Amino acid sequence: MVTISRRKSLALLSAGALGLTLGGPAMAQEARSILKMAFDNWRADSSHATVEMTIKRARGTRKMAMESWTEGDDKALVRFTAPARDAGNATLQLGNKTYVFNPKLNQVIKLPASAMSQSWMGSDFSYDDLSRSQKVLDDYNHRLIDTKSSGGKKVYVIESIPKKGKPIVWGKQVLSVRADGVLTSVEYYDQLGKRVRIMTADKISNLGGRPYPVVMTMRSDDKPGEFTRVTTTDANFGLSIPGYVFTQSNLQNPRN
Amino acid sequence: MIAALAWRNIWRQPIRTTLSLIGMAFTAMLLVFMVSFQFGAYDTMKSSMLRISEGFGQIQPEGYKDDPDISDTIDDPDSILAKLSKVRGVSAAAQRSMGFVLLANGERSFAAAVTGINPEREQGVSKISEMVKAGRPLQAGDDAAIVLGDGLARNLRLEIGDQVTMLGSGLDGSVAADVLTLVGIFKSGVPEVDRQIARMPIDRFSDAFLMEGAVNVIAISGDKLPDVEAAEGDLRKIARDHGLVYLNWGELAPSIKQAIALDMSTAFLMFGTLVVVVVFVILNTLYMSVLERTREFGVLLAVGMKPRQIGSMVWMEMIFLSFLGNAIGIALGMGLTYYFELNGIAFEGLDEIYAQWGLPSRFYPDMTPMRVIGGPGAVVISIALLGIIPYRRTLSLEPVKAMNS
Repeated sequence: MVTISRRKSLALLSAGALGLTLGGPAMAQEARSILKMAFDNWRADSSHATVEMTIKRARGTRKMAMESWTEGDDKALVRFTAPARDAGNATLQLGNKTYVFNPKLNQVIKLPASAMSQSWMGSDFSYDDLSRSQKVLDDYNHRLIDTKSSGGKKVYVIESIPKKGKPIVWGKQVLSVRADGVLTSVEYYDQLGKRVRIMTADKISNLGGRPYPVVMTMRSDDKPGEFTRVTTTDANFGLSIPGYVFTQSNLQNPRN
Repeated sequence: MIAALAWRNIWRQPIRTTLSLIGMAFTAMLLVFMVSFQFGAYDTMKSSMLRISEGFGQIQPEGYKDDPDISDTIDDPDSILAKLSKVRGVSAAAQRSMGFVLLANGERSFAAAVTGINPEREQGVSKISEMVKAGRPLQAGDDAAIVLGDGLARNLRLEIGDQVTMLGSGLDGSVAADVLTLVGIFKSGVPEVDRQIARMPIDRFSDAFLMEGAVNVIAISGDKLPDVEAAEGDLRKIARDHGLVYLNWGELAPSIKQAIALDMSTAFLMFGTLVVVVVFVILNTLYMSVLERTREFGVLLAVGMKPRQIGSMVWMEMIFLSFLGNAIGIALGMGLTYYFELNGIAFEGLDEIYAQWGLPSRFYPDMTPMRVIGGPGAVVISIALLGIIPYRRTLSLEPVKAMNS
């Protein structure tokens, strides 16, 4: 009797384990494809956008304007157009390389890896955040942890944990994606499991022919009252962008 | 009367007593010297490390230490500096501003912390200007000048006279950019400092980062670390009056404090063992001598002495012996320590390594009453307390039995 019941429980256990191993990857795959859909919707194959950035600090509020171009997952150029003090500063990302141009120095500087986590233009975003999408997809394990409903739309909540050995500062990220592919929030947790900052989509409307988070706000939990708000005022998606746009020479001497 | 008896009894066995005294005296001497030397060395290390850059204390905006943000500022540094100059024990104070920047030379770029300093004031607080190995330190009147740690300069492949590009965020978050000339390279020997720290004149820093005269911290120094520690109350008050906080050296450099605490705990384990061993060796000897004298105690009981009196006599013998031994030890220990206070102790072959860390090649013990009395005091008190064992033994003595033993 004893042996039988032991065998039974063993069988149950292994069945359970099998179920887990089968269910695990399938769910992970689903979570990953939801995220991919969200990132694809965000950047498309290519994009050209006009963006305003508001940085709220205890000392005061700063408004900046910029123009951005992206192509695929790994090419992006952002050029500031206002205020006058900051106009002309630009950031270029090519794969995992990041270059910045400063008009006063009239010089292109390649960012070292150690500087990627530093604040980008004094905002709550880091240089790392600019190149986020592909890195998040590849360097994290994804898991669908919840499905909610918001404003009549289904929202998937996905927990992404960095793969072992990847040099990532976050302990995990929790991303919410609406069924139509709009990223509605991203929560960043530190290695101890404490939430550090949160990015939310505050306004979603139709832009360039797709539902788009036109107003997004990043807040750090340890700096209440401060935030960085990014408002996309105009955007075109899926247009063809000349190859010279994403080059260092265009970064330094803009042709566009 | 009993005390006189006890004193005479000690010297009935001159050789044994002398040996016990030598044992205790030697231990006491060692304890006095080692504790004084240990603490003296800690003091030297603390002040040497703190003199590299932190200073003996700092006035900062609240929360700046944990999250140094250029926008946490001290807006009226001059009035605070004026007040600090009147505080007893403070010999120097220097305002500083710090920004996290990228330093670049052509294709090469590295993240660094650049500190804007006032070269004249900084001289009294930080020894970095004395650690300049190539070129020269910053001096009054410098403008577009920068001094780098040697690791940083090497990584950037920069030589004295080269231009270095700096890119960071100003006080309001806008881009701060500047081109500076490398005038000096310092080597503190502390890798994190040499790889990350850059210094430039604070006026130039103020312009580049739009500080408008505000600074991030005020670093404080004194002739001796204890002088500044003694002034902590005044310093905290000045900071509070300006809505700022004062951080003492332990709060500024907790790693130094922890390293010392760790080292101290192992050292105290050793001192403790020494005390315990000596106490039990002496106690054993004294207890043996009590056992031997059972017959003598029998006679004393027979002639009318009370057991309690005999016990007190024996106990007193032990206390006299330990006092005498430790007094001799303290005298010898103080003599020895004093000699090394004058001459110092050099660690042959290590002086180059120490010099790199900004430590002197000679260490000096430093006596204080507590450091002198502590170790020997523990021995005396332990023996005095444990004297209850032989004391209790004498209480149970019966005159006839004892005389026949």
